[in-house]
Amino acid sequence: MYRLGLKMLFADRAKYIMLLSGMAFAALLMTQQGGVFVGIIEWTKGNLKNMRAPIWVVDPKVEQVNEVKPMRDTDVSRVRSIPGVAWAVPMYWGILQARLVDGTFKPIQLVGLDNATMVGRPTKMIEGRVEDLRIPNAVIIDDLTVKRLSVGRAKPLGMGDTFEMNDKEARIVGICQTEKSFFGYPYIFSTYEQALQFAPRTRKMLSYILASPAEGWTADQAAQQIREKTGLGAYTEEAFGESTVKWFFKNTGIPISFMTTIILGFIVGVAVAGQTFYSFILENLRHFGALKAMGASDGLITRMVLLQAFTVGIIGYGIGLGLSVFIGWKFIQMGQPPFALPYQLPLGSFVAVLLICTFASLLGIRQVRKLEPAVVFRG
Amino acid sequence: MNGLDRVIHVRGVTKTFGKGDAAVHALKGVDFDARGGELLMIVGPSGCGKTTLLSVIAGTLGFDSGEVEVFGHSLHTMSQKQLTAFRAGHIGFIFQSFNLIPTLSVLENVTVPLLINGVGLKEAEDRARAMLEKVNIGKRGDERPTNLSGGQQQRVAIARALIHEPRLIICDEPTSALDKDTGQRVMELLSSVARGPGRCVIVVTHDNRIFNFADRMTEMDDGRVQRVHENPSKSMAGH
Ligand SMILES: Nc1ncnc2c1ncn2[C@@H]1O[C@H](COP(=O)(O)OP(=O)(O)OP(=O)(O)O)[C@@H](O)[C@H]1O
Ligand SMILES: [Mg+2]
Repeated sequence: MYRLGLKMLFADRAKYIMLLSGMAFAALLMTQQGGVFVGIIEWTKGNLKNMRAPIWVVDPKVEQVNEVKPMRDTDVSRVRSIPGVAWAVPMYWGILQARLVDGTFKPIQLVGLDNATMVGRPTKMIEGRVEDLRIPNAVIIDDLTVKRLSVGRAKPLGMGDTFEMNDKEARIVGICQTEKSFFGYPYIFSTYEQALQFAPRTRKMLSYILASPAEGWTADQAAQQIREKTGLGAYTEEAFGESTVKWFFKNTGIPISFMTTIILGFIVGVAVAGQTFYSFILENLRHFGALKAMGASDGLITRMVLLQAFTVGIIGYGIGLGLSVFIGWKFIQMGQPPFALPYQLPLGSFVAVLLICTFASLLGIRQVRKLEPAVVFRG
Repeated sequence: MNGLDRVIHVRGVTKTFGKGDAAVHALKGVDFDARGGELLMIVGPSGCGKTTLLSVIAGTLGFDSGEVEVFGHSLHTMSQKQLTAFRAGHIGFIFQSFNLIPTLSVLENVTVPLLINGVGLKEAEDRARAMLEKVNIGKRGDERPTNLSGGQQQRVAIARALIHEPRLIICDEPTSALDKDTGQRVMELLSSVARGPGRCVIVVTHDNRIFNFADRMTEMDDGRVQRVHENPSKSMAGH
């Protein structure tokens, strides 16, 4: 009987396609928007992925990694002196303008690494050595810099090429790969001292202090010591990431606007699928009545209707998921907008689609259940 | 079994639709019997309660008072669940407008009562094929019912009504959507394949052109059975 129930649905091409589209659209919208949202959240943690250190020390007012309130140079030695800290090094991070050959400027993110240790160094080098940063005026650029700053050049920027940042010449000694970050600007690495040369001079230039816990200390414990003894802000890498995400939830409309779209996708799914499915049931009410007269129990018919709903739901979900993976893959290829698909996302939209199916079939099931089998004898 | 057993007993059944001023007393104390092996017709003016009585006997409609016994099952004491199971096992339905499911093939339509009774797909299809042969429509099994003429569709409906070998066949106006000749042929088929020992066929009709197929006639008027008589054009001597 279930097979016949499905056939009844598939045979109604127009409604079947409408239902599939509704479900697919809902699944697409939810997964896709969810993916972009997760992608943005990942982007906000870009600095943490591109400059690795167990502990980040910042101005106490800083709550997230994309915000810098410079500290005094002496703060580095204050942190070093805390028991539980193995080492602490300075880092510069700032947005500068790099000059293209045509005279226009592009924003970049300049990262200054501690000369001695190069802590926070690029995680993936494509060409060159990080140590060469010690050469005067040397920089390591990421692949995005190559793309952005090569505009107007005969051939793309490469090893040994020079360009200007803030009217000062920079020479490329290496090319690295980075993760996308919130501002979307390319990363350029130099030494801390060199970065201070490139950057416009201000009273305080120290953006972050990167530190590591001493033997026998966890990063958590060390960070707590730093906070207590210096009054500075200190986070483990993980905690800084969480704090960053929390900050974006609290202080930007981004999560709400995405949530709204996702809920909208759900509602549209319920509306389209519910409406179409309900009219499918109404059109077939006569036949359901005949089935009831012939002795099909309410339970059997309910299960038939649910199976119909869940079948289109699952197929529609498959189409929607496929589409959103495809679009997401295109996004990633294009570099933006951001997109990430942790397994919770398809799982979540799957549950949502199942809910849509349930809502969509409830009305129809109610109609069928309250139908008197004797109606089949009338008109 | 004695074919003349009274297999259906209806005593003092009343049924009122609606309430107060709008109330319609469709059945006002119906007494009615049917015997095994017979084709019984219920006739009477429009609105006299024929369909209502048929629905009550088929277990598709509840009634207000009275007793209904069908093949020893007392419908007035059964729960909805029991009634549903009763219909699935014992009743074959033939409707005026055929009520075939247009999106299923002819063969699939015929399998429905078997599937409802839990018969496997393969066996159901085999039996449906054989039944379609029996109603002379064996070659059309894979088509959609809507491709068939009215008479052919009613044959499919007959096949569907008989497939699970129910003991009671219920037909409401089976020929009124058909022209005279087609109606005659459908009734010929019905009275030849549907009738069997111990099985009872009840036909509600307006159509006096098919009265001659009845073994007995039950005349209703105004919610009551007025008269029951043997069909003079038929001899019951054979039974
Ligand atoms: N579901 C219902 N709700 C309200 N009134 C009903 C309902 N079903 C039947 N009736 C009324 O009950 C009376 C008997 O109806 P029924 O259909 O049994 O008559 P019938 O003899 O089959 O008529 P016809 O020959 O026109 O089919 C009619 O007055 C009808 O309007
Ligand atoms: Mg009627």
